[in-house]
Amino acid sequence: MLDIECAGAEVEETIKRIQSQKGVQGIIIVNAEGIPIKSTLDNSSTVQYAGNVHQLLMKARGMVRDIDPQNDLTFLRVRSKKNEIMIAPDKDYFLIVIQNPTE
Amino acid sequence: MSNTTVKQKRTALKVAKSSKTLNVSSGVFRVNQSITKTINPSISGKSFSSASDSKVLDKSLAQTPKHTVQVFDEHGQDVTPHPLYNPDPGVLQPKQGKIFPAHDTSWTTVTDFPSVAFQTTNASFTGPFTKSFFGSVSASRTSQTTESVTDETKDLLVKPDLSSSLSDVQARREEVKEQVREDIIDRVVDSYLTETETIWLLDIPAVSVSEDSEDAEAVKERNKAYTELCKNRLGNDKYVERSMQTFNDAPKTKEVQSDSITMVDKAVMSSTWDMYDSFCNKGDASENIVVSAEGKKATVPDSSSMNHLLNPSGPDQSMSVFSTTSTVSGSSAHLEKMTCVLPVEEEPDLELILQSDKFKQDLAVMERVVLANIFQPKLAAYRQLPVIEDPDCVQTQIEEESWTEQSKNSLSPFLEHLWVFKCELTKGRNVSSMTWNKKNPDLLAVGYGQLDFKDQKPGLVCCWSLKNPTWPDRIFHCESGVTALDFSACNANQLAVGMYDGTIAIYNVQTTEQTPIIDSSDCANMHACPVWQLRWVDHDTGLAGEDKGEMLISVSGDGRISKWIHYKGLECVDLMKLKSPNMIVNNQRWNPKILSLAPGLCFDFHPNDSKVYLAGTEEGHIHKCSYSYNEQFLETYKAHTGPVYKVTWSPFCPDIFLSCSSDWTIYLWRQDLSKPVLGFTSGQKVVFDIMWSPHCATVFGAVREGKVEIWDLRVSSLDPTIVSVTNPGVNPTALLFTPETDCVLVGDSEGQVTVYKLKNLPAGDSTQVEALEDVIRTTLSSKHTLGKTDRDA
Repeated sequence: MLDIECAGAEVEETIKRIQSQKGVQGIIIVNAEGIPIKSTLDNSSTVQYAGNVHQLLMKARGMVRDIDPQNDLTFLRVRSKKNEIMIAPDKDYFLIVIQNPTE
Repeated sequence: MSNTTVKQKRTALKVAKSSKTLNVSSGVFRVNQSITKTINPSISGKSFSSASDSKVLDKSLAQTPKHTVQVFDEHGQDVTPHPLYNPDPGVLQPKQGKIFPAHDTSWTTVTDFPSVAFQTTNASFTGPFTKSFFGSVSASRTSQTTESVTDETKDLLVKPDLSSSLSDVQARREEVKEQVREDIIDRVVDSYLTETETIWLLDIPAVSVSEDSEDAEAVKERNKAYTELCKNRLGNDKYVERSMQTFNDAPKTKEVQSDSITMVDKAVMSSTWDMYDSFCNKGDASENIVVSAEGKKATVPDSSSMNHLLNPSGPDQSMSVFSTTSTVSGSSAHLEKMTCVLPVEEEPDLELILQSDKFKQDLAVMERVVLANIFQPKLAAYRQLPVIEDPDCVQTQIEEESWTEQSKNSLSPFLEHLWVFKCELTKGRNVSSMTWNKKNPDLLAVGYGQLDFKDQKPGLVCCWSLKNPTWPDRIFHCESGVTALDFSACNANQLAVGMYDGTIAIYNVQTTEQTPIIDSSDCANMHACPVWQLRWVDHDTGLAGEDKGEMLISVSGDGRISKWIHYKGLECVDLMKLKSPNMIVNNQRWNPKILSLAPGLCFDFHPNDSKVYLAGTEEGHIHKCSYSYNEQFLETYKAHTGPVYKVTWSPFCPDIFLSCSSDWTIYLWRQDLSKPVLGFTSGQKVVFDIMWSPHCATVFGAVREGKVEIWDLRVSSLDPTIVSVTNPGVNPTALLFTPETDCVLVGDSEGQVTVYKLKNLPAGDSTQVEALEDVIRTTLSSKHTLGKTDRDA
């Protein structure tokens, strides 16, 4: 899960760039089943994030599509006291970035 | 009257000697009661009371016939039922005799009782009629005496002859009706009395026969014979009692075991989107089945479609899950019920995900989001939005102080540093030109290339977006240094790039392809010297035919100003050759026919009149030329002693233009004056770039070696209003104002593009055109008075 596989230099670079931005605490890529496939955090946090975000995404997507079935969720941001969790969902995966911009 | 005879029946019962009979009869009565209780409550109630309470019967005995009967139950309450209908005794009389005789014989024996009783109970539910019969029958009994006892017991159990009873009822009904309608009694009414068809409600073949029937005698005989037979059975040799033993087989226990029926609870939450998806996927259902049957894709038909199995413990467990469900999929693949279940495909590879376009897009968006968080205050300042502090922000004291101090406390104009566009790629490169995209004001194209002859290296064009100051959105590597850039206004995705080797390329910034759309390297007429300036010019007014539309115009070091046409390749047509007529070299007089061309360094088309343009040369001359006349200049302005690096028309005043040169001066010209109106010098530094402010007519910016200056002519024409000194060793080389906000971008020789915000510049309501003109007028008049000008303003 924590193996960083070689998957396209450009993509890798972008991930590294995001990781190096100010205040970014971690990046997690989760596949469609909710299994984290790539992460820069430790195992337990990753699993926690992946599981909880998965549920939240389902709810959020369900809500958006309930109101208009042709609509779909494209981005979700959860701002908390300590940090901000940004989620980019997709059919096959979702990308989670945790950042504390005021660090 | 009928009721009194009922009472008599009661008494008859009471009198019966044999207790057995009484018991049986009372038992029978009880049976009767259960069925007829609702209909003949009087009788049943009385029957009980007769069994238990003798008082009532005594009472009934005492009463004379023909009195109305009062029915009392054991509590003494009057429960006299109202008759369902009042039979007319006169009508009933003739029918009464029939019923009784048949039962005379049958009641003598005890054994008959149960059978008869049962039969009668079955029949006695025809309630209303029985009562009448009781009434009718009993009425006739008064005459008979001897057989009255047994007969009367039978009365209650008499089976009514239905057909006759019905006709009775009908006759009675008719009478009743006629009595009611008294008001129309005078009318002559024909009434027809007919007998309807027999309605059989119940037909239980009678076991007892009426005494008047034909075979009554035969029946009686038979009955008699039978009773005789029964009597004779005991002790008769003809009848032998025998017993038989049957085999009782051993009981055998048989067990059958079956699979327990597993009950599965299935529930589906149907939501709006679920229904929508099912509807949309209905057409693809068969496709999906094929897909799932082919590859070992595990379908999970029991789970609801959108809830994927969450498997946090790692890939091992997930594999097992898939293996169990794969067997299910084998069978379910043939099922046609795939509509509302999205087929769970095989777990896509990490590779697949990471390489998908969507992922790249998402990453880009994510990067911008992250950066937006970081740069939010700066971007807000850029966009002239109020900078709101993050409520959760715990900014360090020092940082806050330094930033706010400068911004709040100072009243004098200054440049507020916002951010820097830089990345590793651009390190060490010289920024040669910058331009905004015409359509997207957030997109900035920056060209990197050395302007000197030495240190030439491959150039770079980066398209930066305001949303991501840390990495350019597009990177184009060019063969030689980039010296000029311009975005097209018509096709906002086309970027024309001019290079040091004279090549002009047009890139499409929508893609990340490194190759330009078109290149001028095939053109025969291409520039041989660096292209110093490029401009897309829109000739929309007054030109005939092919000259309409946008054209790319370039000026290069080989002295030509050319117009490029994108037809099949890039083709160029010379608009002007920058001749230098006054060159005298070493006392030799040049043959006037051989004219060398002065390298052109800059040009600018008039903002209002697109036919007229200015061109600056390396010699220091500024030529005003016309688009349609390519032989001679309209006018030449000579003041600079060094190469003119930039010439720009004022965007507000149509007659004013600025020029800057390497002779440390900036001149303000009016196009009808051959001498500059104003000159701006501050220090002995080469001026690389100037630009008018797009907001205020009196403001322009200049970039010198080591300094960035913002001049405001309202404030002073001798000194720049804002001077910002750059880091030592770093020279700002390019300047760009932002068209919408009050920021200025400065590109320097280190590859950085810094964004500054102009603070505390005196703002005006209008564009201050009058102010500029005032300044010029005063200057001119002062010059005039000093006698330095040739002509009046």
